[in-house]
Amino acid sequence: MELLERFARGEQDAFETLFRQFQSEVFSWIMRIVRDRGIAEDLTVEAFWKMHQAHARFDPARSFGAWARRIATNLAMDHLRKSRRETPLVGEPADGARENPGIQRETREQIATAFKRLSPKLRIVATLSLVEEVPHREIAEAVGISEATVRVRLFRATQILRKELEQLGAKT
Amino acid sequence: MNETHEIELGKLLKKGLGPPDQELRRDLWPEMVRRMEKGERRVPWFDWALLAAATASLLFVPQMIPVLLYHL
Repeated sequence: MELLERFARGEQDAFETLFRQFQSEVFSWIMRIVRDRGIAEDLTVEAFWKMHQAHARFDPARSFGAWARRIATNLAMDHLRKSRRETPLVGEPADGARENPGIQRETREQIATAFKRLSPKLRIVATLSLVEEVPHREIAEAVGISEATVRVRLFRATQILRKELEQLGAKT
Repeated sequence: MNETHEIELGKLLKKGLGPPDQELRRDLWPEMVRRMEKGERRVPWFDWALLAAATASLLFVPQMIPVLLYHL
């Protein structure tokens, strides 16, 4: 029997095989959204726990990766909602960012402040599209919205970010 | 606002946020096993509510105890 069919029937070894195959992919996806290693690890485990509980609802004819990404995105979105006022967004600085730490720190703080003011649904689309350059089709599939809605949210996020960054003094 | 503006803004955001290290550095399966054990041990709230209701019934209506024992 196929692996996905065995998973859908609730076989534990099939779940473990899928976990080992997809844990890196799911972690990487969540990390791109939440940008915090510890939180991304916790959410990865939580996402697979939800998949484990929902095995009977999984259609083996469909892509496990897409299903996993959808569940992971929902969890990441919930996390952003809960931590909107608590957690700093910025992760480790890029290599280029370390070259001029004084200016870069200020820019990073301005961007983090502007991002914090976005609603989670706009922030996810902005992060994935503008920063991670994920195609609109993939974002739509992961978030569970149409590509047109992705474009609308991206437009709104871009407007808000530009306005916020201009007010904060960052050049856009 | 056009695509050029989005690209410019994207560049600025990338510069500020930086790329996250997306590589998973350890196997999360042991944590997954712990999570499953924890989840499977968890008693649903309605089971606790049922137990509390049954205990309260026996405390306030002790005449039910022999009836209950008879049916067990």
